[in-house]
Amino acid sequence: MIDQLRQTCRKLLEEGAVNVVIGYGQDKPSMMPHPVFITKPEETERLVWNDLCFANLAAYVTRKEIKALGKPAVIVKGCDERALVVLEQESQFTRDGIYVIGMACDGVGNPRAAKCASCAVRTPRYADVTIGEAKPATPAADGEFAQLDEFMKKTPVERLAYWKSEFSRCVKCYACREVCPMCYCTRQGGRCLVDKNRPTAIDTSATLKGNLAWHIARAFHQAGRCVGCDECTRACPAGINLRLLNQSLAKAAGRAFAYKAGMDPETPPVIGSYSLEDKENFIQ
Amino acid sequence: MSDVISKNDLLRLVDQWLAEGKRVLGPVKTGGGVILYAPLAASGQLVLDGFVHPANSIKEAVFPRSETIYTYTFNGQEIELSDVDPDCTQCIVIGARPCDAAALPVLDHLFNWDYQDKFYNARRAATTVVTLACTEHDDDCFCTSVGLGPASEQGSDAMLITAPDNRYEIRALTDKGQALFAGKTSAAEIKVPISDGPAKKFDTVDIETFLKNNYESDAWRDITMRCLGCGACAYNCPTCHCFDIVDEGDASGGRRVKNWDSCQFGQFTVHASGHNPRAVQAQRQRQRIQHKFRIYPEKFGAILCTGCGTCTRNCPVGLGVLNTLEAIAVIARASIEVK
Repeated sequence: MIDQLRQTCRKLLEEGAVNVVIGYGQDKPSMMPHPVFITKPEETERLVWNDLCFANLAAYVTRKEIKALGKPAVIVKGCDERALVVLEQESQFTRDGIYVIGMACDGVGNPRAAKCASCAVRTPRYADVTIGEAKPATPAADGEFAQLDEFMKKTPVERLAYWKSEFSRCVKCYACREVCPMCYCTRQGGRCLVDKNRPTAIDTSATLKGNLAWHIARAFHQAGRCVGCDECTRACPAGINLRLLNQSLAKAAGRAFAYKAGMDPETPPVIGSYSLEDKENFIQ
Repeated sequence: MSDVISKNDLLRLVDQWLAEGKRVLGPVKTGGGVILYAPLAASGQLVLDGFVHPANSIKEAVFPRSETIYTYTFNGQEIELSDVDPDCTQCIVIGARPCDAAALPVLDHLFNWDYQDKFYNARRAATTVVTLACTEHDDDCFCTSVGLGPASEQGSDAMLITAPDNRYEIRALTDKGQALFAGKTSAAEIKVPISDGPAKKFDTVDIETFLKNNYESDAWRDITMRCLGCGACAYNCPTCHCFDIVDEGDASGGRRVKNWDSCQFGQFTVHASGHNPRAVQAQRQRQRIQHKFRIYPEKFGAILCTGCGTCTRNCPVGLGVLNTLEAIAVIARASIEVK
């Protein structure tokens, strides 16, 4: 797989089809694979691919430093590709402006990450080229939202106590936001809600009030958009299980609108579309 | 002869401190399974071995993530300001890594330079730091590259050294440390070897030379391209100390707070005009490294890094000070001045 990946990328760069390959590298054996940006054909030997390639590289395609490099080829797993689908639907790039290299994926992490158990997109579906062949997914017996369903058995008081305890560890480093492909407000020259100070919308203090407001506001902004790549959960230095929060919104989007973010470019996004048949009339 | 305390007696002592109303911070396994320095409710929470370094630092003992510096009330056309007294609660940090303790004397320079920060100083005076000499390290540790080591005493009031039979040798290093353990130890003839720590990974002189000569260099862009601009490095760093002053309140009044901030955030240097002198991430990364290894040493004679490796362990894209400096060291050693 790795030879095919390197050859594909080398050819793309040699032929000038792309200016940069956003992929995974590993500068020394002790490191986890990390994002690399390959601009010269001979540097494609730096590319690696293994089951520790966690980072969702879709988070880079909206960044101005990366855009400045020219047309990118971006290496994605199936879950990462779902993020690209949402970004394209939200007009963050045009499909012919990027080249997508899909990697068949049997899951990441050892043991496998939580998201992999219910993965329905082990082989990317819309890539310009797909490398490898993934074993067919065996859907988790207890369903995609097993962890959430278990959590929801708690009483509201217990759930609030859980989140208070989790968020008490949040220092507002915004690693959750910065790894997130969907959190592109600041990347587009705008301001994230929490950075707005004329007037202040959310306390910037890492107090319980400020932290609850931040995480709940962020979750709302992810509703029907989060693809469940779980990068925020992986990135959190305090080990806060943001997956649980994201899943509750994803489940709601599924229940109320039969919608799953990033699965199909042709399905109108649940938040970004409007229909005269909508049952609510407040907007008419 | 050495002063020795059993682990059980140490834990009993921790509970005694808690019973006396002291704040005790130490490594705790938190809800998400991550080990963090956090306030203890009981000694049973304390985790003293089986890990290399907590995912954060001890700086919250002296420099909390959010601290009220005064409050205000609107009273018609008048604004009433009320001082907030600095927190003088006695605080003991137990099981601190020497690299975390070493950061405190480094921070003292900044918080007592052009302005004496009474909040920092009150907490610092009320804090006693008990370190635990390191017995293991990982690939991200580099204390030996910045002049420290597994048993560095800088910033420690007392040091625990793991001894056989569930005991610790105690070395009281200051009066505060002496006071904490007076009468609580027994004398024993033990000789505990101290670990060598990680092999040296770069030379700070090479780094400083590179930083002086290569402010404008493509190396910054090339090395730091993957940086996403979060604060996972700075917020968990024992020495990073940037803060923002904000007002939080409503129409009746509120509080002015000092919150952690990070030079890695794009908005950190945005001027009121909208101009941003550090417009791209490479410039922000350059600032972080320049500040730690050239600017701070030039100004205060101390490197703003203790080699704890926390930034690298926490970085979601595998960057952090170590990987950046190793990349710089390769260039510096090759004596290539990248222009």
